Amino acid sequence: MIITSIRRTSRQNLSKVLTTMLVPSRYTIERWSYTLQRVSGVVVMLYFVAHVIETGYVVGGPGVWYVPPYEVAQRSWETVKASLKDPVFDVGLGIIGLLVTFHTINGVRLTLTHFGYTLKRPHRPEFPYEVRSFTNFQRGLFWLSISFAVFSMIYALDTLLGVFRA
Amino acid sequence: MRERTLMIMHYLTGLGILVSGTIHVYVVFLTVPANLTAWESTLSFDGFQFAILPVYRNLALALSLEILLICTTYHGLNGLRIILYELFQGRSARTYVKYALFAIGALLLIYGTRTIIIAHSIGGP
Repeated sequence: MIITSIRRTSRQNLSKVLTTMLVPSRYTIERWSYTLQRVSGVVVMLYFVAHVIETGYVVGGPGVWYVPPYEVAQRSWETVKASLKDPVFDVGLGIIGLLVTFHTINGVRLTLTHFGYTLKRPHRPEFPYEVRSFTNFQRGLFWLSISFAVFSMIYALDTLLGVFRA
Repeated sequence: MRERTLMIMHYLTGLGILVSGTIHVYVVFLTVPANLTAWESTLSFDGFQFAILPVYRNLALALSLEILLICTTYHGLNGLRIILYELFQGRSARTYVKYALFAIGALLLIYGTRTIIIAHSIGGP
């Protein structure tokens, strides 16, 4: 049973792992990138599931497994469209834009790192134990992802709501 | 499959999302006709080149949506798998996580592909 296997991972241990995953304070900037990458990934995945369900109404909803008449599909979509007319969804889309852009550029950085690009040679740990494999290029990519993410959120909010327009 | 293969597929699907997702965002948000607001244009059912239904009717764009669906499902669920494996350790927990994610993935793929195929074949008014 899944319950017993979850119980076997003791509750204390689970909260320990969660804290390690989600609280990056007192560590280097790379730990922040790790936490943000995971949080943004999970949130975007939730959005993706909601988006697949929502776009299902373009053809008439979950009950339709045949090609419906044009008017039926249109009526179904217009109903959903009316329920989507809420600034909450626009702001949500802006946040999704922020998270996706961050996740993309930081993901490119992680892929390069995984295959050893952008890393310096390993060296003996000597005082003051600075990790020299972290290059300026890497940290630059991280800050680039942050700034692109903020920019794309502003752009999305401006396109959808016109908030930053005079 | 070996963990190394899964991770390389993770990166490849990420690249696939980058390409097909760029097409998707371009088509949805950056092709707004002059007489419509972005909100109207994004959610318009039919009537101009990049409204919802004409995008599905275009075979190349429908295929790019299918690629986006497949890549995002794999990439997202594999990412969740990595997180959940760290949270729930032990062989049986991993088995349950694996099959639960397989089930979610199958549901997403079947439902999304159904939407794309049906929307592709809806005729005119």
